[in-house]
Amino acid sequence: MPCLYICGECGAEHEIKPKEPVKCKDCTHRIMYKKRTDKMIQFEAR
Amino acid sequence: MVNKSTTNGVSDPNLENKRTKVTLTNSGVENARGTYYSGAYTSVGYDNSFNLNRFKENFKINILSESANELVFEMIGIDAPIANALRRIMISEIPTMAIEKVYIINNTSILQDEVLAHRLGMIPIKVDPRKFNFKLPNKEYTAEDTLIFQLKVKCEKDSVTGKIINETALSKHLIWVPTQDQEEMFPNEEDRPRPMEDDIPIMKLRPGQVIDIQCYCEKNIGREHIKWSPVCTASYRLQPVISVDKSIKGDKANQLLEKCPKKVFDIEDSGQVVAARPLDCTMCRECIRDPEFEQNVKIERVRDHFIFSIESTGALKSREIFQEAIKIFIEKCNIVEESINKLVN
Ligand code: SF4
Ligand SMILES: [Zn+2]
Repeated sequence: MPCLYICGECGAEHEIKPKEPVKCKDCTHRIMYKKRTDKMIQFEAR
Repeated sequence: MVNKSTTNGVSDPNLENKRTKVTLTNSGVENARGTYYSGAYTSVGYDNSFNLNRFKENFKINILSESANELVFEMIGIDAPIANALRRIMISEIPTMAIEKVYIINNTSILQDEVLAHRLGMIPIKVDPRKFNFKLPNKEYTAEDTLIFQLKVKCEKDSVTGKIINETALSKHLIWVPTQDQEEMFPNEEDRPRPMEDDIPIMKLRPGQVIDIQCYCEKNIGREHIKWSPVCTASYRLQPVISVDKSIKGDKANQLLEKCPKKVFDIEDSGQVVAARPLDCTMCRECIRDPEFEQNVKIERVRDHFIFSIESTGALKSREIFQEAIKIFIEKCNIVEESINKLVN
């Protein structure tokens, strides 16, 4: 499964491959966020 | 020991005052500690030993007010340690159900997962905890010890009206998901598990944000975590007694009336000042701050007259909380009795 990152500026989702620059392909913004896991996470309500 | 009628107390009024009341002065509280030694008043002909029959005769409980969530009652003729034990049991040892495990599937809101989980835990759940068992550690969830709630909220902009839907995730969005035969445990519609109030805000959302959460409720007690406490708080205070000297009249009487922020005093037709609403007194001591008045106004509290107020979070009625507290207290006494018996034999 490709690893998708979210652009910190425009919110678009892009795949970044190894050695590729960390950069949004739409707006060239350089801060990309990792997506939240789609697995369930357990917390204690304390 | 002299065996006199004991309900009248000690004949010397000064001594009797010391025995039964706590006095408030400018410099502090006097006689806060009672005298429990059985022979303390033998020389004045009063038997101070504990006597079960006398206790039964003097002990009284009167309900002062009772509403849906709050019960105020007075308990007369009991020692402070026992009243305090009951208060502490009500706060920390009566089991209720509360959200304990939170399984977050999705949360795109600005509230962090762990903060959100903590917030969810604090929501009071309205369900009779006596229907459930304590969950055993490292055991699977069963229908007898776990309640499941689902919280699935999506905030959207209505395409027609442009209004934002679900701007706030509220406690009413917590939907009970019955497992196995849990439906049968609650035949009446109003007994069904749900959050106590429908309008507790959980968090604010913006269009596009979603939360998708499974909450598992467990049974436990307030000593483990305050979210399991059945009371908002349970507290008591001592019955205030305020007496004003006859010498305060005219101008001074008006001055005294002005001093009290809670308007405890009234002037009778005879010009005499009386404490008409002693229960309103907060013991702020404003009325005795002036040394001139300290001589003439006496603020006291009855040592064995407790005014309890129990405010329930909703799982149990305040009345039931007190009854449960007494049951737990008796259980504790039995444990002590048993261990003493073991030591003796
Ligand atoms: S202690 Fe305060 S509230 Fe109580 S009677 Fe005096 S002034 Fe009023
Ligand atoms: Zn971008």
